[in-house]
Amino acid sequence: MQKYEKLEKIGEGTYGTVFKAKNKETHEIVALKRVRLDDDDEGVPSSALREICLLKELKHKNIVRLYDVLHSEKKLTLVFEHCDQDLKKYFDSLNGEIDLDVVKSFMYQLLRGLAFCHSHNVLHRDLKPQNLLINKNGELKLADFGLARAFGIPVKCYSAEVVTLWYRPPDVLFGAKLYTTSIDMWSAGCIFAELANSGRPLFPGSDVDDQLKRIFKLLGTPNEDTWPGVTQLPDYKPLPVYQPSLGLAQVVPRLPARGRDLLARLLTCNPALRMPADDAMAHAYFHDLNPSVKNDRC
Amino acid sequence: MAPTRLAPKPIGVNENLNGLLGHGITTRSKQLASLKTHKDILKAPNKRKADSPLKDVTAKRAAFGDITNAFNKTTALQDKDKAMGLKKVTVETKMLPTVKSIKPQTTTLNGKTSKAKTLQRVATNAIDAVQKHFTKDPPKPVATRAQNGILKNIVEKKDKCLNQNQSQNSAKSARSDVSEPSLYMTALETTSPSETSKEEYKTISEKLDKVNLDDTVRSLDEETEVPHKPPADVPDFDQENWNDPFQVSNYAMDIFNYLKSRERLFPIDDYLTRMKGITSWMRALLVDWMVEVQESFELNHETLYLAVKLVDLFLTRSTKTQPEKDHLSKEELQLLGASALFIASKFDERIPPLVDDFLYICDGAYTLSQLLKMEMNILRVVDFDLGIPLSYRFLRRYARCARVSMPTLTLARFVLEQCLLEYGLLQYSDSKMAAAALYLALRMKSIGHWTPTLQYYTGYAVKDILPIAIAQNATLHKKPKSAISTVRNKYSHTIFFEVAKVPLVEDSVLSS
Repeated sequence: MQKYEKLEKIGEGTYGTVFKAKNKETHEIVALKRVRLDDDDEGVPSSALREICLLKELKHKNIVRLYDVLHSEKKLTLVFEHCDQDLKKYFDSLNGEIDLDVVKSFMYQLLRGLAFCHSHNVLHRDLKPQNLLINKNGELKLADFGLARAFGIPVKCYSAEVVTLWYRPPDVLFGAKLYTTSIDMWSAGCIFAELANSGRPLFPGSDVDDQLKRIFKLLGTPNEDTWPGVTQLPDYKPLPVYQPSLGLAQVVPRLPARGRDLLARLLTCNPALRMPADDAMAHAYFHDLNPSVKNDRC
Repeated sequence: MAPTRLAPKPIGVNENLNGLLGHGITTRSKQLASLKTHKDILKAPNKRKADSPLKDVTAKRAAFGDITNAFNKTTALQDKDKAMGLKKVTVETKMLPTVKSIKPQTTTLNGKTSKAKTLQRVATNAIDAVQKHFTKDPPKPVATRAQNGILKNIVEKKDKCLNQNQSQNSAKSARSDVSEPSLYMTALETTSPSETSKEEYKTISEKLDKVNLDDTVRSLDEETEVPHKPPADVPDFDQENWNDPFQVSNYAMDIFNYLKSRERLFPIDDYLTRMKGITSWMRALLVDWMVEVQESFELNHETLYLAVKLVDLFLTRSTKTQPEKDHLSKEELQLLGASALFIASKFDERIPPLVDDFLYICDGAYTLSQLLKMEMNILRVVDFDLGIPLSYRFLRRYARCARVSMPTLTLARFVLEQCLLEYGLLQYSDSKMAAAALYLALRMKSIGHWTPTLQYYTGYAVKDILPIAIAQNATLHKKPKSAISTVRNKYSHTIFFEVAKVPLVEDSVLSS
């Protein structure tokens, strides 16, 4: 622990406090996440266990790098690469509207990080602006894998208590425990709209019911015809029947048509029809993406 | 080594291990029976930690104490999941006559009449749904299905993203081929994936096309081609399942290639030669006990396989780097096994058992601090890398791709699980073990050879796996020993199609 000098507290992760710190030898700035291990506890928390071992595997430019794990009797310290801010803070720091090229670049990087996770059998399950880190070079990185997990093929039942409410897909809001990579794609869609609106959340619901209503007001209330099986979901409840307004042009006025098309394909209530990350990266919206972003792989 | 009579303390502290083995308890059938008898006392505590053990049940099983208790707790919590599970089981019943026996058993396992009623209702609904479904869309015969797949693959590949629904029929029927009518089935295999009608998809597409009017480029173009294309005589399993999201078809090939590429990172060597006091027999006893724990806690099979891997990796690596005096003693062997299960549960289980549960199944042989210390010790030695490729996962993939029937897949699983106990087989990679077990199962049931499909999806020719299949066959031919009979007992149950009773074959059958 002597290797690092703590500078300031950055925030609270899913299971521990995060500090900004400096490597005393190399002067490199890092982020330290501390996990307390109490004697009367369950040992290493499963969220920390999963985050550590998933991030050890996922080495990619668009995923936050875990440099090291330091362990002592009483605590674990995770040493992460440090990024200047998260997307939430980036939004807060905006003066006026976001540059649409930045929207495209961030969205592409988000999808590329996700495609990497998904093709390495990892679900993130807690995508939101606070968990996307942005550095000075305009690089976006997926962070906070405290709710992430490895999935098998075919997938099994996993916890339904995942994803922050505003970014939670309708199937999970209806209590689905059986979900797959599509769970992250819904969140990506919500973030896409939020990016295009310079940080205004798309569906800021107050509870599960309100969340579902907000979604269905925009996209239409699903039924057995549009989404076979929806009424069989564990927490399904009939909600007011809204007709699809398809008013994406009003909701994300600054987004061009191709962008709205991509958004509609991500914000698809039926998870079976939601577009996967690798397909989304090939979407026409990205055809004019700055080549330096497109070719900048890990 | 006398198989039936164990020395008073064969593994040091492990009277419990010994006791467990000696009494041969916690088999599924006995638990089921006991649950039935004690139906009345089975309250459903809505939390994992029960306040007091269920006296009636535990008294009968002093030797393993809380296993039953913990088992009940888990059951209560997973009731909801069970309901989902049941649903699929019943759905599958339609295609697989043998599954019929499962439903009542599952219900009994839950042991609560009120719950049973609910489950029954869910099941009935599911049957109705399936019947409705098939009246308007009857399943197609297998041969047509395969052809469909190939044709689609060749002709319509380019359009796969826009026409995700086209392979729907084949995907739908394919699911009936490999169902999981066991209590251990994974949830996915237990829920009928949501079906989407072509009309409905068209509607969405049309809507999207409208949005897209001002675009000259189609939103999904030729770039999104399936990157992995099997040879012409091999059905494209992923393509056929494209519309079943739970198969994660668009990433399946990438993921399994990735897992295979990682196998070399986890070599296990002949570590016992570096150790004093621990023998392959003790390891077999330990793994046998771990299988019992997996059954009792109803853990995923992936959890069991991962835990066994952690044991072997820990012993491989720690005996290389540490001086002999620091090597694990035989008294700590069960602690290692319990801690490995503890870690694997936290990694894979939705609701892992609590640390107290693991202390209990060791019958108080170890303290909390010992267990937590061992946990950290294991994590340190394996460098927190738990993404270890497992034979169990490879096997399911291979069996599904080859459309192997459930009894045959189960037989292959029995082979793999029996081989978990076999120290001599640890050197082989998990993907090869899986392929060999499947080959052995196919030959044991004399229902086929190594097809081009299997060769494509496993990446192995018969010559690559024959020596392993022969070694696995030798394991099956070993005289059964009562001290390590858990796997055999488990797979003698009807839930597992009694595959442990399938007649053994001579090696000549394998090489013919």
